[in-house]
Amino acid sequence: MLLINNLHLIRSNKIIFNNINIAASSGKIILIKGRNGSGKTTLIKTILNIIEPTNGEIFWLGKRTKTNIFKFYKDTTYIIDKSTSVNNLTVLENIYFWKNFSSSAVSHDSIYKLLEILELKEYLNKQVMYLSLGEIKKLELIRLIIEEKKLWIMDEPYNNLDTNSIEIFNQTFSDHLNKGGIILFSSHFQPNIIGLEVILVN
Amino acid sequence: MKLIKKIFYFFVREFKISFKNLNDLFSNVLFFFLAIFVFVFAIGPDKQALNTFGIGIIWSLLLLSSTLSLRRFFQDDFNNDALIVIHMGGLSYELIVILKIISHFVFVKLPFLIAIPIASTLVHIDYNKIILLLISFIIGSLILSCLGSISAAMNLLNKRNFALGSLIVMIFSIPMIIFSVAVVNDEENFSSLINILIGLFLIFFAISPWVSAACIRLALSNK
Repeated sequence: MLLINNLHLIRSNKIIFNNINIAASSGKIILIKGRNGSGKTTLIKTILNIIEPTNGEIFWLGKRTKTNIFKFYKDTTYIIDKSTSVNNLTVLENIYFWKNFSSSAVSHDSIYKLLEILELKEYLNKQVMYLSLGEIKKLELIRLIIEEKKLWIMDEPYNNLDTNSIEIFNQTFSDHLNKGGIILFSSHFQPNIIGLEVILVN
Repeated sequence: MKLIKKIFYFFVREFKISFKNLNDLFSNVLFFFLAIFVFVFAIGPDKQALNTFGIGIIWSLLLLSSTLSLRRFFQDDFNNDALIVIHMGGLSYELIVILKIISHFVFVKLPFLIAIPIASTLVHIDYNKIILLLISFIIGSLILSCLGSISAAMNLLNKRNFALGSLIVMIFSIPMIIFSVAVVNDEENFSSLINILIGLFLIFFAISPWVSAACIRLALSNK
């Protein structure tokens, strides 16, 4: 479904990455692994067409993403290693913005349940700027469940999370894979997930 | 239908952000009033002089105070990458720029509609001229919002010198200042002058989404 063919990126005469090939079908989980500053985020941004590659092609459902970008985005949730929430709005206001914006069919009850599992329920009416880094990360990852898309692309999803939350998210990832979803994520360490395919970036 | 819904919720978000940042708006309006006071004290109590220069002073200060609010145009959404997520939600960068221009006009500029009549009384402007001033302000501030989007988007590429963006707005707003002041002072040619002003707005409204979106794309890929 997602096919990346011979992707190269050269910036200021420096090779950031070359010869990246990825083929991901339903139920596949791929880790982009590399040291700090090795170009993991740049590779993810290139896959998402935010950065133009020097060479190579990306296909989603058999169509070139460059010319069908919104068809690709329609099936993709991108979790950034930053807080995309508005700092002086409350947790609930931010969640409902993403829910309404993506016309999500997730019910109110399941959102509340989710917040309870992630131990965010007591912060519902708190402004995002007062949350800790881990809580902000959890708030970001909630977008995965709200948007209900097939392809999840994540940049360092495990940063700032405690072991308990990591377990919850690993469970969420395997549920998504069982439903036929695809996950592509970057990390500098390798989590314990069955069937994980690793792509090294140097 | 989904697109209209997305646009609606985008505006709701912009409204909430502006509402939470009311002090920004307040400081803009305060700057405008304080600057008017400075002019009134500098020129002195001569009613005739105030009446002659009043429109020019008000328009220059509106321009200056509009450059103060440019920082909030794209910067926050750019810094935390919310622009990318909103774009991935199905709005093209050009459409995002248009929506931002409209929301900037509504949430930052329109409150000046209340401030201008009060300021006009301070510089002894006639009642019928105030109405003309408000009409010229509505069109002029739309032009300023368009220019503001270009300058704010260009500033995303420029991390050091923030004053540069404000300079761009000032240079390109000279034609706008000429015609908006003329609309108020030259009542006989009102309709032709207002048509020129609307024409200027349409030119900038046609250009700014493309230019701003190109700058945003470039800035995001160089981040």
